[in-house]
Amino acid sequence: MNQIKNLALVDDDDVFVFLTKKTIEQTKLVDLIKVFRNGLDAINFLKENKNNIAVLPEIILLDLSMPIMNGWQFLEEFTKLTPSLGKKITVYICSSSISQDDITKAKSINEVSDYIIKPITKDKLIDLIEKL
Amino acid sequence: MLNIIVMEKIADYKYALDESSIIAITDQKGIINYVNDNFCNISKYTAEELIGQDHRIINSGYHPKEFIKELWTTIANGKVWKGELKNKAKDGTVYWVDTTIVPFLNADNKPYQYVAIRSDITDRKKGEEELKKILKEISDYKYALDESAIVAITDQKGIITHVNDNFCKISKYSTKELIGQDHRIINSGYHSKEFIKELWKTIANGKVWKGELKNRAKDGSTYWVDTTIVPFLNQAGKPYQYVAIRSDITERKEGEKQIKKSNLKAIEHAQILELKNTQLVDFCNIVSHNLRAPLINISMLVDYLEQSEDEIERKEVLTKIKPVVNHLMDVFNELVESIQVKQDTEVKSDPIVLKDCLEKVLRGFETQIQEYEATIQIDLNEAATIYFPQKYMESILSNLISNALKYRSPDKKPIITIKTKKETKNKVILSVSDNGLGIDLVLHKDQIFKIRKTFHRHPDAKGFGLFMTKTQVEAMNGKIWAESQPEKGSTFFIEFKTQNI
Repeated sequence: MNQIKNLALVDDDDVFVFLTKKTIEQTKLVDLIKVFRNGLDAINFLKENKNNIAVLPEIILLDLSMPIMNGWQFLEEFTKLTPSLGKKITVYICSSSISQDDITKAKSINEVSDYIIKPITKDKLIDLIEKL
Repeated sequence: MLNIIVMEKIADYKYALDESSIIAITDQKGIINYVNDNFCNISKYTAEELIGQDHRIINSGYHPKEFIKELWTTIANGKVWKGELKNKAKDGTVYWVDTTIVPFLNADNKPYQYVAIRSDITDRKKGEEELKKILKEISDYKYALDESAIVAITDQKGIITHVNDNFCKISKYSTKELIGQDHRIINSGYHSKEFIKELWKTIANGKVWKGELKNRAKDGSTYWVDTTIVPFLNQAGKPYQYVAIRSDITERKEGEKQIKKSNLKAIEHAQILELKNTQLVDFCNIVSHNLRAPLINISMLVDYLEQSEDEIERKEVLTKIKPVVNHLMDVFNELVESIQVKQDTEVKSDPIVLKDCLEKVLRGFETQIQEYEATIQIDLNEAATIYFPQKYMESILSNLISNALKYRSPDKKPIITIKTKKETKNKVILSVSDNGLGIDLVLHKDQIFKIRKTFHRHPDAKGFGLFMTKTQVEAMNGKIWAESQPEKGSTFFIEFKTQNI
């Protein structure tokens, strides 16, 4: 089984974070789950730790609708940041939006590996980690 | 002796006549018994061929019978006949001669012979015929022009000297009323002075002017004419009269105006449709995200409950359901409220005395204003009254003031300025400024008026106030926008239309 050290949830939805955290814990594939309540907190963390490979997440599950800095704005900043990051980070959008506009827009961004419509199941989570 | 002199003189005259004229002599029946050389030359017959022949040998058949009869009656009565005759030569060609026929009378006063003295006028006649042809052509042109166009002629000063029927018809003046009048009688006053000046400059310089003119008829109605003005020049090259040829293009012009109007309307409709479409997209996004998110939470919580066997965990999850349901209710109610505004097309505008309205709204914030030591500055000098639905205005002011207080700076006492500005007769702009936290518009430009979008870590930030405000403003065809700088403050502007009732 493929194990990863860090996974980051960038989402402001308490219930979703609570349940997803529990589900990930059940898979026992992730050592540490970090939660950021908006895009800005996540970006700031990445900037501060761009060379600190041990704490940088392998996977980011990114919500779109968030206060302060939303998912799209995060991706803009993230794209600028990627070249200077010491680690490859795989980003999945994980949103409750079923709007085709959002899905199309997500597909057009290189840094986004896939668009997952909430809810995210345990099997899907395992699949994501296995695929790394 | 005397006789000899007389005889000589007569011979001289005869010689002079023979030399200068075409002479023929016939008997009383018209049988030729003398022709001179000039006669033979012009008729191309020899004297032998002519002598003894009826004079009708040179008839061209050109003149009507009555004309010939009249000639014979005259000379048969012993009177001299003068006239112009067209004769035919031996080779069939014709020639014109100015003719004098003198009857020689016997003792009974009866003609016994006729002396015809002619001179060749073929060239003159040809010239005349040519001229006639040209004149006819000219009159044909004139006819064609008069039938087809609106024609007026003026002298070099612009005094009308000629108008045709079409001109009278369209201008509703009679010829009498127009002749002698200044051409400006049909000026509509529509064209600029420069335009008219340019026209006169062109034609006074002897050049043709072409253009479209709006003229005024006698009854005050106006009409459009496509106009060509041709100056007629004298030998010095100066215009002595102007011929204006026009055609009625009123219908086309009206059509153009109509098209312009409907184009403007189409653009207006397109803009409204665009706005509606944006609202629809916004609405779809709200349903697909803002409603779906709590639903998913509920379904995930229920799923978790079903599979969890740990009683403590189940209890923990259970407590999380209620807030999600409440949240779903909130969003749902907000959505319903906003839809009601959008559908409330019947809502009426009232003249709102802003001072009164503001006082009422501010009373609701009294405690906070005192607590935060906020200063409220009000300047309604430019527009004291706004036409808008009362309940929307209260809601808008309440939302904007609430935001200004909620997102105040932690380091400064809040200063809120409420101002009106009269943009045009029809437009009033209301602004609410604060010195609060401000919003990073570079980051949030498209977001600030959207539902459930918040920009500050504030426990009461719901992301509904500005969304509702925008919905209410746009429902009344208004506009809302913001200027803001983080740490400096925000100003919200609302443009109210249709204010000149």
